[in-house]
Amino acid sequence: MITSSSTPESVAQAEEILREAQRWRQQIPGDLHEHVVEAIYSQAARLASRAVTRPGLAAQPTLDRTIDRIVTSRMWGFPIMLLLFALMFWLTISGSNVPSGLLASLLVDQLYPMLREGATSVGFPWWLRGVLVDGMYLATAWVVSVMLPPMAIFFPMFTLLEDFGYLPRVAFNLDHLFKKAGAHGKQSMTTMMGFGCNAAGVVATRIIDSPRERLIAIITNNFALCNGRWPTQFLIATLFIGSLVPAHWAGLVSAGAVTGVAALGIGFTLLSAWALSRTVLKGEVSTFSLELPPYRPPRIWQTLYTSLIDRTMFVLWRAIVFALPAGAVIWLSANIHVGGNSIAEHLVGGLDPVALFVGLNGVILLAYIVAIPANEIIIPTILMLTVMVTGSHEVGQGAGVMFELDSDQAVKSLLTAGGWTTLTAVNLMLFSLLHNPCSTTIYTIYKETGSARWAALAALLPLGMGFLVTFLVAQIWRFFS
Amino acid sequence: MLPLIFIICACAFGLWICWPKVGLLARRTQARLLAARSQREDVLKHVLKCEVNKQPPTINSVAGVLGVTPNRAADLLSGMEQRGLISHQDGCLHLRPSGRELAMHVVRAHRLWESYLADQTGVAEAQWHPQAERQEHLLSPQQTEALAAQLGHPLRDPHGDAIPAAGEELKSDVGQSLNTASLNVPLLIGHIEDEPEAIFAQLSALGLRPGMKACVTGKSEGEVRLWADGREYKLSPILANNIAVVPLPEVRAEDLFGEEFLDRLKTGERARVVALSPACRGPERRRLLDLGFVPGTIVEVEMTSPLNDPVAYRVRGSVVALRSEQARLIQIAREVTVPATA
Repeated sequence: MITSSSTPESVAQAEEILREAQRWRQQIPGDLHEHVVEAIYSQAARLASRAVTRPGLAAQPTLDRTIDRIVTSRMWGFPIMLLLFALMFWLTISGSNVPSGLLASLLVDQLYPMLREGATSVGFPWWLRGVLVDGMYLATAWVVSVMLPPMAIFFPMFTLLEDFGYLPRVAFNLDHLFKKAGAHGKQSMTTMMGFGCNAAGVVATRIIDSPRERLIAIITNNFALCNGRWPTQFLIATLFIGSLVPAHWAGLVSAGAVTGVAALGIGFTLLSAWALSRTVLKGEVSTFSLELPPYRPPRIWQTLYTSLIDRTMFVLWRAIVFALPAGAVIWLSANIHVGGNSIAEHLVGGLDPVALFVGLNGVILLAYIVAIPANEIIIPTILMLTVMVTGSHEVGQGAGVMFELDSDQAVKSLLTAGGWTTLTAVNLMLFSLLHNPCSTTIYTIYKETGSARWAALAALLPLGMGFLVTFLVAQIWRFFS
Repeated sequence: MLPLIFIICACAFGLWICWPKVGLLARRTQARLLAARSQREDVLKHVLKCEVNKQPPTINSVAGVLGVTPNRAADLLSGMEQRGLISHQDGCLHLRPSGRELAMHVVRAHRLWESYLADQTGVAEAQWHPQAERQEHLLSPQQTEALAAQLGHPLRDPHGDAIPAAGEELKSDVGQSLNTASLNVPLLIGHIEDEPEAIFAQLSALGLRPGMKACVTGKSEGEVRLWADGREYKLSPILANNIAVVPLPEVRAEDLFGEEFLDRLKTGERARVVALSPACRGPERRRLLDLGFVPGTIVEVEMTSPLNDPVAYRVRGSVVALRSEQARLIQIAREVTVPATA
């Protein structure tokens, strides 16, 4: 630019030079940028040919090529993929049972009574002890014990596969499906990540370099059934769906029901990606490129470290930040009484008409409202609220205190007393798949997109679909029975 | 208590409506003023385009362009005459100097904005024209100059229209309609008309862009067959009429038919990149260049996805997957001359 100290003469001179440059530029055939890129590449190739020697053809990456031919072959590509992911989920679910139980017994069974006693002996009034220990501490303890072990197993395994170079091949195999939905093949990787945790899945969409496809991946990530929702699915499927068939089929049928819900989630992912790319995201930028890096032995320790710090701790920290106030709200709503009934009871009564209309009940809806911070506390909250509403005080630990029952049968009889039918169970499973993402995820979406509008869309789209689907199921169900 | 709340609400409501600059009334006035100005500028643009293409503008043609009744158009034109933008002479509309200057600015802003959308944002092609139709009324002359400088003073917009330099004459549309082009003569697609939108959307969905080399291979009742970028397009005469072409005497028809594109390459085959099609532009073009698909590069098909698309290519030592509609934008030659670098 022309500086302020320049004389009129030099200004005129500079303008003449600029005009001259413009004239020359217009005489260049084709695009200037292109010529520059071409020149850079040929210069780089010249330098490389002088400095790099290639002894024969031995440098041909034959092992890579063999692996690639197998994992992307028509015959073996998809079976290998399914097998690997089934293995990963199985390891996550079965492997996290034991540490989850240990954490729960440490944080809930041992530390919780100690804290309660400690608070009493220090002289806290009952309400302060209730908010801090029964509300905030217990909610956080649930979230940590349910969330931490699966994430600490799933994320490192995922990162190892990523590091090895297999995940880009999955994107390569599946891209055609995603292309038909108007999305990017790399979304298969972020969806997979979403099965671990939606917040982590949303962060993982950074690998998609095309803005439109990235937004699609962010908004639809919630349709991947996350870790916090798997336990709900398994419990409800075992109690209500598995019990519909003879005992020796029960395990298979309930597992099938959960898999069906997860598959439905993938269907909704593709469907809403298709709809989004043709409506609200029509004008956004779209490019495609997928690099398939060479395979390399994963760096195990580094991977463990980064996945624990970057993903697990990141997600856990946000979940804790949101679970603390949620615990307080749950406890307060169950313990502040207005006109003889607690706020929670009023809310359940108010939500009941809408909820029953779509085949759920007020307790479920209220649980989903107070459990926005973390899906993990849905079942404990539902149990606590059901006890409060039905007044069956032989179970539970008092108003506003979340708990889980050891025996499945006890849970079922409690829920049946709360008016649950098979329809309620089916719709709860559907609603667990199709509702707003947890607040951690919503906040992450807001951070990643930088827009409250997209965050709102990502929250309201699945919620609207959830009400629509449960409503339709309820209508059809009632029509046939 | 209740009256107080009512008064506060009423005050808030009143302020929301009457607040200067951001209130509802002020916004409405601004929007109305902008709409009126946009309409005037659209008329000027229409008259200018008619002038350079030697078609006389009439009240009816103005009404047609604006989508209003002829009576409304007549009102508008007399208002513009009072403002000194146009004049009626010999029963014909003419631009006064101030009107001409404004019209040139609007055309320049429109075409520059289209170039900006095409080259720098990657906004879908069908959106370029509608967005530029809005933006042309919002850009000031200074902003237009800054935009031109940022884009490197482009000469043509993405539809192939010349972008007039500030203070320069507008050039008339070049080339003949594809319908009148003779058979088997190499042609350059010089311009694709962006109005009406539905026709343009169909052409852009087919992948036809200005700058492509093409050749009419057959004509029949209700169909024009066009060869471009290694494939045949069947167009209805209505579509073909919106494509303007100029002959390319220095290109032979055989060369045109011999052009091959990357999507035809089979697994294990090698080829040399000749060029990127002009149909590939903006961020997508830069992305391909950055990945190493520059003229002279040797490309080899590494593997094909189980669903046939995408295909992975080995280019300069790395493996990159492209979708078929991207691969068909890369022109290749089968004869692989061993480059000096190998």
